[in-house]
Amino acid sequence: MQKEKIKHYQIPIRDLDISMSDVEEIAHMGDDMPSYQAFLDEELKQLEGVASVQGGYSIEDACVKGDHLLVGEVEFITGKAVSHHYRNMNRAVVFICTAGEEISNRSKALTEQGELVEGYLLDVLGSVMVEKAMDIIQDALQNDMAEQGLKITNRYSPGYCDWNVNEQKELFSFFPEQFCKVSLSESCLMNPVKTVSGIIGVGENVKFHKHVCHACSSVNCLYRNENNK
Amino acid sequence: MNELLEKLAYCVEFGKINKVSPFPPNMKDQDGADEIAKQLLDGGVPATDILMKGLMPGMEKVGVKFRENKVFVPQVLMSAKSMSAALDHLRPYFQSGEAERKGIFIIGTVEGDLHDIGKNLVAMMVEGNGYEVIDLGTDVKAEQFIETAEKNPGSVIGLSALLTTTMGNMEKIVATIKEKNADLKVCIGGAPVNQDFCEKIGADSYNPDPQGVVEFLNALAS
Repeated sequence: MQKEKIKHYQIPIRDLDISMSDVEEIAHMGDDMPSYQAFLDEELKQLEGVASVQGGYSIEDACVKGDHLLVGEVEFITGKAVSHHYRNMNRAVVFICTAGEEISNRSKALTEQGELVEGYLLDVLGSVMVEKAMDIIQDALQNDMAEQGLKITNRYSPGYCDWNVNEQKELFSFFPEQFCKVSLSESCLMNPVKTVSGIIGVGENVKFHKHVCHACSSVNCLYRNENNK
Repeated sequence: MNELLEKLAYCVEFGKINKVSPFPPNMKDQDGADEIAKQLLDGGVPATDILMKGLMPGMEKVGVKFRENKVFVPQVLMSAKSMSAALDHLRPYFQSGEAERKGIFIIGTVEGDLHDIGKNLVAMMVEGNGYEVIDLGTDVKAEQFIETAEKNPGSVIGLSALLTTTMGNMEKIVATIKEKNADLKVCIGGAPVNQDFCEKIGADSYNPDPQGVVEFLNALAS
């Protein structure tokens, strides 16, 4: 199969459709805390003109071999818990998506000014932004694949279960340097910090799971389903 | 004055910063930590007593509730802000030496890692429990920890890491610190580390929550 060109998306903030409850739930704000609705509305308005929310992916031939994935010519040792979710895939969508550096810079500035809750809320907002942006890209991908009679899996990333974070290096090898203005440090920290990367499996008989928290050992994950704590 | 100290502890515990602060709703229009700390000082209560009998009991309760998942990060931050408002009145007394703190804690996120929310929470909680905190920030090398510790004899070092890939850097930093001065106490924390890792790398203490760090420091100070 011929390798397809890397697809790139630039996503306006308004398309992310972020609500206060998206942030409050993850931040564990609690009912007795003051409302930060006006603060978040204003911050989102300010970000609208400057934030560089973007992402993209490359589609590669792929297969599962036990606890490994073979994507193009690159082998990922994901561990069985993750490779199990990719079974029956014959293509892999390698993705990167970022909320940009603006949100993290603003969060840091507020924290340094002593606006601790506001700084924290923007940090959470950055996480919400990047996940929502990736949801948009994943939805578009799902529609594209459906037109070809194909299905997609959930997205999984190095760091999940036994999949070593070090394999970010292999994952980034599918993209040109500074793709979406994202860089990877020696310790595999992505910069901007509010960035996600990973692999989505594609095939005629792959499965999408509504909840996968039970299979993941990341008990500190912000998005972990409460029932799986 | 004891009643006022108890009220200060309550303000810290529930995050009442000052009179105009709307949080918590049941304390609307009441004095907060800012006003009460000033009233205590004006009433002749020593800064050390305000710290030990007002701020520390409040912050300790927050630490325990956070450990027990009874409060979450936003509530802890409100408490920290309330504590900071009171501490602003006390700082001149610490700087002049008129009042003393329990010790010095040097904290930083290890080299290669830029995550700081967990580290900041520990720093706030430790400060509120009577220690001077020197926060070296993120991406901190062993030499910076050693240099700061040498300038502050008797200090304790805290290392934070969020990435599994920076656990190796944590190990190197602990080894470098211990090689330079085996008596320097080092505690570690962060999502990927645990007690086994702590023992493996020769650190002195692992704590899964900020209150654990406070308890470790208190045990060293006693």
